[in-house]
Formats: sequence, C-alpha cells, structure tokens
Amino acid sequence: MMPALDMALRLAACLLLAPLLPGIINRVKSWVAGRRGPPVLQLYYDLAKLWRKGVVLSTAVSPGHVAGPAVAWVALAVASLLLPLGPAGAPLAFPGDALLFVYLLALARFCTASAAMDAGSAFEGMGVVREVSYAVINEAAIIAALLTLGVQTGSVSLSVMLAPPAAGAGAALLAAGLFGVLLAENCRVPFDDPNTHLELTMIHEAMVLDHSGPPLAAILHGAALKLLLFAVLLAKTVLALTSLSWLATMGALGASVLVIVVLVGLVESLLARLAFRRVPLLLATSFLLCVFALLVAWKGGRL
Amino acid sequence: MTPGDLLLISLAGMVGGLLAHRSPRRWLAATLVGAGAALGAAVWTLAGGGVWDWQPDFRLGGELVHLHLDGLSALFLALLSVLGAAGSVYAGEYWPDRRHPISAPVGRVWWNGLLLFMGLVLVSANGLHFLIAWEIYTVCAYFLITQERRKPAVRQAGWLYLAASHFGTLCLFAFFALLAVHTGGWDLKPMRDHPELAPLFWLALAGFGLKAGIFPLHIWLPSAHANAPSHVSAIMSGVTIKMGIYGLMRFSGWLPTPAAAGWVVAALGVESAVLGVVFALGQHDLKRLLAYHSVENIGIILIGLGFAMIASAHGQPGWGRLALAGALLHVWNHGLFKALLFLGAGSVLHATGTREMSRLGGLWRAMPWTAGLFTLGAMAIAGLPPLNGFVSEWLVFLGLFGALPAHPAALPAAGHDPASWAAATAAILLGLTGALALACFVKVCGVVFLGLPRSEAARQVHECGWRMRAPMLLLGALCAGIGLAPVLFWPAVACASAVWEPAWLADAPAPAPLLALGAFHLALAALATLAASALWHRVKRNGLARAGTWDCGYAAPTARMQYTAGSFAGTITSWFDWILRPHRHSHLPRDPFPAQASYEEHTPETVLEHVVQPAGAGVMWVSNLVRGLQHGRLQAYLFYLLLGLAGLIVLALMGGGK
Amino acid sequence: MTDTLNLFIGLAMGLNLLALASSRLPSVIRAAALQGMVLGILPLLIEHDWQWMVVLVSIGTIAVKGFVIPHLLRRALRAANIDREMKPLIGFVPSLLLGAAATVGAVALGGVLPLLPEHADSLLVPGSFATVVAGFLMLMGRTKAISQVCGYLILENGIYLFGLLLINSTPLLVEAGILLDLTVAVFVIGIIMDRIQKEFDTLDTNKLTTLHE
Repeated sequence: MMPALDMALRLAACLLLAPLLPGIINRVKSWVAGRRGPPVLQLYYDLAKLWRKGVVLSTAVSPGHVAGPAVAWVALAVASLLLPLGPAGAPLAFPGDALLFVYLLALARFCTASAAMDAGSAFEGMGVVREVSYAVINEAAIIAALLTLGVQTGSVSLSVMLAPPAAGAGAALLAAGLFGVLLAENCRVPFDDPNTHLELTMIHEAMVLDHSGPPLAAILHGAALKLLLFAVLLAKTVLALTSLSWLATMGALGASVLVIVVLVGLVESLLARLAFRRVPLLLATSFLLCVFALLVAWKGGRL
Repeated sequence: MTPGDLLLISLAGMVGGLLAHRSPRRWLAATLVGAGAALGAAVWTLAGGGVWDWQPDFRLGGELVHLHLDGLSALFLALLSVLGAAGSVYAGEYWPDRRHPISAPVGRVWWNGLLLFMGLVLVSANGLHFLIAWEIYTVCAYFLITQERRKPAVRQAGWLYLAASHFGTLCLFAFFALLAVHTGGWDLKPMRDHPELAPLFWLALAGFGLKAGIFPLHIWLPSAHANAPSHVSAIMSGVTIKMGIYGLMRFSGWLPTPAAAGWVVAALGVESAVLGVVFALGQHDLKRLLAYHSVENIGIILIGLGFAMIASAHGQPGWGRLALAGALLHVWNHGLFKALLFLGAGSVLHATGTREMSRLGGLWRAMPWTAGLFTLGAMAIAGLPPLNGFVSEWLVFLGLFGALPAHPAALPAAGHDPASWAAATAAILLGLTGALALACFVKVCGVVFLGLPRSEAARQVHECGWRMRAPMLLLGALCAGIGLAPVLFWPAVACASAVWEPAWLADAPAPAPLLALGAFHLALAALATLAASALWHRVKRNGLARAGTWDCGYAAPTARMQYTAGSFAGTITSWFDWILRPHRHSHLPRDPFPAQASYEEHTPETVLEHVVQPAGAGVMWVSNLVRGLQHGRLQAYLFYLLLGLAGLIVLALMGGGK
Repeated sequence: MTDTLNLFIGLAMGLNLLALASSRLPSVIRAAALQGMVLGILPLLIEHDWQWMVVLVSIGTIAVKGFVIPHLLRRALRAANIDREMKPLIGFVPSLLLGAAATVGAVALGGVLPLLPEHADSLLVPGSFATVVAGFLMLMGRTKAISQVCGYLILENGIYLFGLLLINSTPLLVEAGILLDLTVAVFVIGIIMDRIQKEFDTLDTNKLTTLHE
C-alpha cells in the first residue's frame, strides 16, 4: 500500500507544482524589464479556464489531434515517476530506466508533432520541422550526459546515476551542457521565444496554433511538466543530496530548481533569440560540453 | 509430432501450393498449412530448447543431405512462416488474378519457391546444399521483383539486384569452398577449434553482408524494394535480408573469427544505421524510404552482434548477452514492423496509384485502418515505448552501457579499454539514429496520412479490403504484444543466444528489468488509452465547433502549401549534404510579380552513382581499349604471335642466364 | 599544482573551440589573446623557484600575446573595415566538431604516448596537440586573412605549450626568442595587410589567388 501511496503523492506533487515554473520565469522577466508582470499562479488560472472552454477543431484534423496531446501528457507524467527525489529514490526504478525516460520524451514529441501535422498548415509544418531537427542533436547530448553519469556510477538506472556527490570541472561542464539542453528542449530563448507572435519565428508555439480548450490545457501543462523534469534532472546532477535528511533534501532540491528557473528567466531577459541558422552551432556546443564531461569523468576517474 | 514431421508437412504444403498455383484458394490453403507447420516446428524447437538433426542416407549433388534445426534457425524460421503467411493472404487481394492474369499465377510459383528455399537455407547443414538453396531463392526473388517487367525502372531494379546478389554469392562460393578444403568436407557444424579458418570470416562478411544490405553494399536494396510489389517488398525486407544476418550469426557462432571481426561488424553497424536513416530522410518515394530504413535497422542489429562478438572474445557474458539478445529480438521486431509498413504502403499504392509522398496527404479520412496501422508501425520503428522497437533497442543500449567500466574504482585501469570507448561512441550514434528515425516517420505519417490531399490521386481513395487488412492487423498485434509482454519472448531469444555462444547459459532467467519494462509498458498503454478517451469525452462535453485551419489571414491557402517530404527533411538533409549530394533543379521567378516556378530535389544512391558507376565506367573504358586489339586483321594477329614468341625467348634467356 | 595546471590548459582548449566556432573577428582575436595570456601564466606554475628570468618572460608573453599583438590585429581590422567571416571553407559547425574530435583524439593519444611520470597526469601534451590542430583548422578553413593570422597565433600557442615540457632544459631565452619572432611576424603581416587592402580593396584570400601570375 505504501509504495502505491508514495507514487500517487509524488505524481500529484509533480503535477501540482509544474505550472508554477513558467509563472516564476515570467515574473523574473517582468522584474528585469521593470514591469509588474502576471501573477506567479497565472498558468493555473489559464489551465482552469481552458479546461472549461469549448473546442474549435479544424476541418482537416483527425481524432489524433485530440488523442495526441493526451498521450504526450501521459508520457511526461509517467516519466516523472522515474526521477529520483533525494534519498527516497524514485517510485519506479529498474536498470535501464534512464533510457526509458529519454524515449518517453521522444514519445511525447512524436505525439505533439503528429497532432500538429494534422492541421494541414504550413505554419505547423514549420514548427514540427524545426522541433524534430533540433531534437536530433539534443538526443545525442542527453545520451552523452547519461553516459557520463553511467561511467561515474556504473549503473543505467536514474536512481543510482543521480545519487552520488558531484564535484569539479566535470560537473560544471555537465551542468552547462544540460542547461543548454534544458533551454532547447523546453523551447526557451535563445532557441525559441515563447512570447513571439510571428508564426515564421516559432517552434513550439507554431505546433499548437490550432489547439484550443482542454487539449491546449494538456499541452501547456505537459510543457510545464517537461520543464520541471529537466530542472530536477539538472539539479540532481550537480548537487550532493544523499547525506541529508528527507526534509533538508526536499528543501535543497526545491531551492535549486528555483535557482535554475530564475536563471532561465534571466537568460530569457538578457539574450535574444538566435537566428535559426545559428541554432545548430549552439546545440552542438551543448553536445560537446556533455562529451567533454564524459571525457573528464573517464580520464579523471571522478567527476 | 517431431519437428521433422512438421517440416515434412510444411514441405508438402509449399510444394502443393506451388503445384496448385492456378487456383488462388487452393494455393492459399496449401501455403498457409505449410507456413503453419513450419511455425509449429520452430516453436517446438524454441520452447523445448531441443535440436532436430536429420542425416538420411541419400545424396544430393554428390553430398550427403544433412538438415539441422536448432534455436537460431528456429527463430528465423518462425519469422519466415509468420511473414510468409501474412504476405500470402495479402497477395490475394493486392495482386489479384483479374488484374494481372499472367503474372499473378506465375508469381505464386515464385513466391512458394522463395519461401521454400529460404526455409531450406535455414535448415541446411551442408555447405553445398546451403549454396544451392541460396542461389535458387535469389533467382525466385528476382522473378518476384520483376513482376511488372513493362516498366524500365522495375527492370533496372531487378538487374541491379541480380548483379549484386551474384557478387555476394560469388564470395559465398569462395567461402564455402575454402571451408570445405580446410575441413575436408562440405558438412557444417561447430568448428571453433580450427583457428586457421578465422580469415574466411571476411569472405562471409562480404557475401552475407551484401545480402543483408550493409552500407555500402546496399546499393541494390532501395530500388529493388521500392519497385517490387508490396507483399514482395515486405517479405524481402522482413526475411530475405535477415538471411544475410542468419549467415553472419551462424558462422560467427560456429567458426572462429579474427580478433578484429567484432570491431569491424560493430563499426559497419554504426555507419549503416546512421547513413541509412540519413538517406531515408532524403527520399520522397514512400517505399524507397522504407527500404533505406531497412539498411538502418540492419545496422542496429549489427551493432548488437558486433558488440556481442567483442564481448565473447573478451569473455564478458554480462553485457554481451544483452547486446546479442537485442540483436536477435530486433531481427524479429524489424521483420514485423517493416512488413507492416510495407503492407501499409502497398495499401496506399493500391488506393492512390502513386508512391510519391508529396502527391498524397489526408488519406486518414478514407483509409482509417491503413492510417492507424501504419502509424503503429511508424511508432514501432522509431523505437517508442510501449512497442516492440523500443524493447530491442533498449536491450542493445543496455549492452552498450554495460560495456562501460563497471565500477568507479575500476576506472583508471579500464580507462584504456577500447571496448568501452567504442561502446560510448556507438551509444551516442545509436541515440542519434533513433532521433533521426523519429523525424523521418513524423514526416512520413504527417505528409502521407495527415493534413489535406495534395492531388487528385489522394482525393479519390478507398480503404483496402479485409484480405489486405487482416495481415496488417496480425502484424500490428504482434508488435504491440512483444512490446507489452517482452518477457514471454525472452526464452526464444535466450535459446537462440545459447546456440550462438554455448558458454552463455540458455536457462538463465530473464533479466529482471525486462519484467519491469513490460509492466511499465502495460501501464503506459492503459493510461494513454484512458487519457485519450477522457480528453475526447471532455471535449465533447464542453462543445465542439469546426472551422478552417489558421492561415494568418491569407486569402487563398491551398493544400499544396503544406510541407512536402523534401521540405520537411530539408534542415537535416542540408547537414548531410556532403554524403547525400542531392540533385536540385529549380526554376525560380526573378521578377517582383508572381510567376510560374518549380523546384525539384532528388537524392540518388550516392554509393551507386559515385563509386560503383564510375568504377564500372572505368572497367568499360579499359575493356574498350583492350577490344581495340581484336580488329580482325590477319597481319596484326601474326604480329602478336611474333611478339609472344619474342617475349618467351627473352624470358628463357633471362631464366637460363641465372 | 597539477590540478591548477590542468584547469588552465583546459581553459585554453576551450578557447580553441570558441575561436573555431566564432564568426565575429573581434571574438576570434580576443579568444587567441586570452589563450596567449592563460598560457603565459603557465611557466610561473610549473617552475617552483621563481628566478627573475622566468617572471620576466612570463610578463613579456602576457603583454605581447595579450595586448600588443591583438592591438596590431585590431588596427588591421579597422583598416580593412570588416568584422565577420562570412563564407568559411569549412563551416562553423563542422570546424567545431572537428576541433572537438581533435581534442578527444589528442587526449587519447596523450594516454598512449610514453611520457615521463610527472607529465603523464597533466594535460600538457594533449592540450598542445589539440591547440596545434585547432590552429591548423583555422588556417585551412577560413578565407579572411585576419582569421588565418589568428589561426597562426593559436598554432604558435600550441607549440609553446609543448615547449613547456622541456622548461627545465631549454633556457627561457629560447622562449623569449620565439616571442620576439612572433611579434615581428604579426607586425609585418599587419603592414602587408594594410598595403593589400589599400591596393586591392579586399582582404579576401579567395580573390587574392588570381595574383599568382
């Protein structure tokens, strides 16, 4: 009974806390720009409103247009069960779950991309092309990061990989690489501007142009959940969290996720979005940072 | 009921179907009986772990007949029977007698011949009979590919296939002949204790690799699989190229291999996987694209096999077993989902009459079954949970990660272990391949089935009949089944692994992660279905309205403005321009006002165009020069005689002087 | 001490990749200058007793590589009125990936070579190989003369780094000599570039190939 309760509680916590992160990012951006900005809980209000609204579907779409966001959301929610949170470990852990995590993200991407292509519009096509093309380099970066953690710990399970203390240049390189991957996967500046209104410059926003109502709520919540997953992953890679009590661990994890999210907000405020032809260069840089972290872990015998 | 009896029934069924080729129903019944019996024999062997060996006293071609069915053969035989049955049912509606009165009955003869002789290759334990069966099934496949001989593209594809296959068979002739010379007989059995046989592996790699379609020996594959009728493409991609894998696995297990063999196989696997999917992205012909994906998946199988060979050479069963299990399971999985995809593509071709993706679109409306099953196959080949493609790729990944240094304390010593460096590189490139495959199949599903129809051909479509749907449903169900309950299939894979490397125990229990993975997949599938229906329910409750797609206020949007296959893959193909070398023809407007414009991009087969054809042209040039010597003038021939005589005298003088 | 040394050399290797990936010429010059300064500090870290000669050469290296040479290059940049590398022969992403591959290869090679025990743990040898290859990549892959000069500077940094292995046996006077040679070379190149720009109104080496008649 206890494991099931534990799993349910964790899932509920992840689902409830996720929409807070985009709110914090927007607040940071407003603060830098000297504005009051929307309330931190704005995404909660938006989700509640969307959940109650009716839906306008394009005449071109198939049932996959509504099923796609649902399956993508489930994939992300289930992936959150694989992430360990401090000494309590993950609710579901077995050797190889790190790769399952990566491929669940790929499943979410496939579903949202197919739902976007459904609308039969060149705008969605544009967004999908960019999303799946950049995902290629991101995947290489994530696998390199997993290899680094695997070399460090000798395991392929996230609970074991993210446990030991990290120190030194290797951890810094890995953190920088994973931060770049976080920005790219969650469609943040400098890869994609979530506030742009020009369809020709969108990646993620273009893919959801024709969604509305509850499916759009599922997509927005899923995006927030993905941000939470990457932030927790990044936080656990650089922090040594095994030696503290449960409460202190949760506190430290929460604080580091907050720091990461604030950093994302600062990057969004201070950098401009890159021209699309420059994006592969930046993605290749994050990939190489992860590869060099792997090299340091290999050569140094410690991270 | 021993496997021998079942195999005899299978033989009778196949031959009966061959004789009854004029009557479609009797042919189908006989062929299904044959396929079913073969499946039974294979399952009996895999479940029981036994070996069936038959050495009767009669000779065929001067050699004693020796048939042998063990776990490895049985795994491939089971795949052959399932796909053979599926393809036979499909062919009834896809290539019916009333539309092809001549080629349909004749095609059935060749079909049964193909299945029969592939089965014989799998059970032959005599080198000569192996070669005879190999050659006969290659010829049967040639006739199956060229069923539409009127089209020049089909004829060219068949010719290329025949030429390439015979080159491979030549290598295999050399391999088996040298093997016979060294071991004193044509009989095949485990021969690990003859280290002088090791260099023969390279001949086997060339011959079997050509049949399997390793890059750069794959030049025949795209055109052959694209131009063949779809059920033939399905069986060829599903089973025929696996015959090459069977040969490699059989002879790397029974014969000693050179030390570098594992590395070479793994390297070939990695480059086939990456380059196969890159070429697939550049295609706009639906079946050609699927053919290149076969090259990619053969690469993945070889990554698993190569690393298993490295592990076996270094004596590390832990991760070697996982890599080999991944390779063997991927043989099955790829057979299933590639056949599903080809049958789906056949359905599309049957309905629209074109393979050109950029003329299709919006097919889901009239062909929901085909669209749904094709999407299922696409998700499987992209390696997405909870389907079978993910399970085998996951096993290969586990094998690669296992090759990394096992314990932090062992790092300084293991840092120089080349196997771990290679495994890390292979893992990164395998991940890259997975992401590229995902991009390619989002493109295929999106451009072909979703959106709006781009041409008249795509508007007037109809769903295929039940005889084409049933095989696809069967294959789709098997894909989902292996994904949701992989533990059930583990004993078969373990049995085959044990044949390859007897030191790795067959009755070791399934690795615990597989059980957890299966449970996870079941939960994921259940939750996904639940969530989708809940969301639909909510949408219906809140109210549903329909409107046009958002077009940003543009006055006259058309279906042709959607992304085409070429434009979708444009970003990624521009990164790989150096190997794809596409041909681009564009006629763009120069004036400020709108005018007629065209743009066409085509990715030819680079190895064929830049390596094989120039080499062939070089050979022809030299031959033409040499032909100049044969002009018919008697005086010159006398001169040649005199020259030859003079040369001999000089040689004799030089030799005598010593 | 080895850790600090490795940190600085790691920084220098990172600056290689930064120079390879940048298309803006001021960034490339800055990267090469910074790399020169970082490597200039190294003799102070390797030599345990600081003679006045070591300190002098170190300060000289930092001054020349960090300030004098970049100043000359920036003057040439202003005269030529360009600030970007538009069409390199080897694209930015491929040259970045090649530079990274060279770094990984150099580390692997360093592990295989028979080095003295005191050098086996440090990144001196891999760093020097990686920097030399990065310098070559810039020299081969860029069309603007100023980028090629920066590539030459990075190449010299790599050779200098390798020379640090012999710091105990080579008199530092040799290092000082190399430094003087470098300064004079860049000064002369600066004058030549100025003349070329005035005469042909371009510093694009693609166009300069027609001068060979």
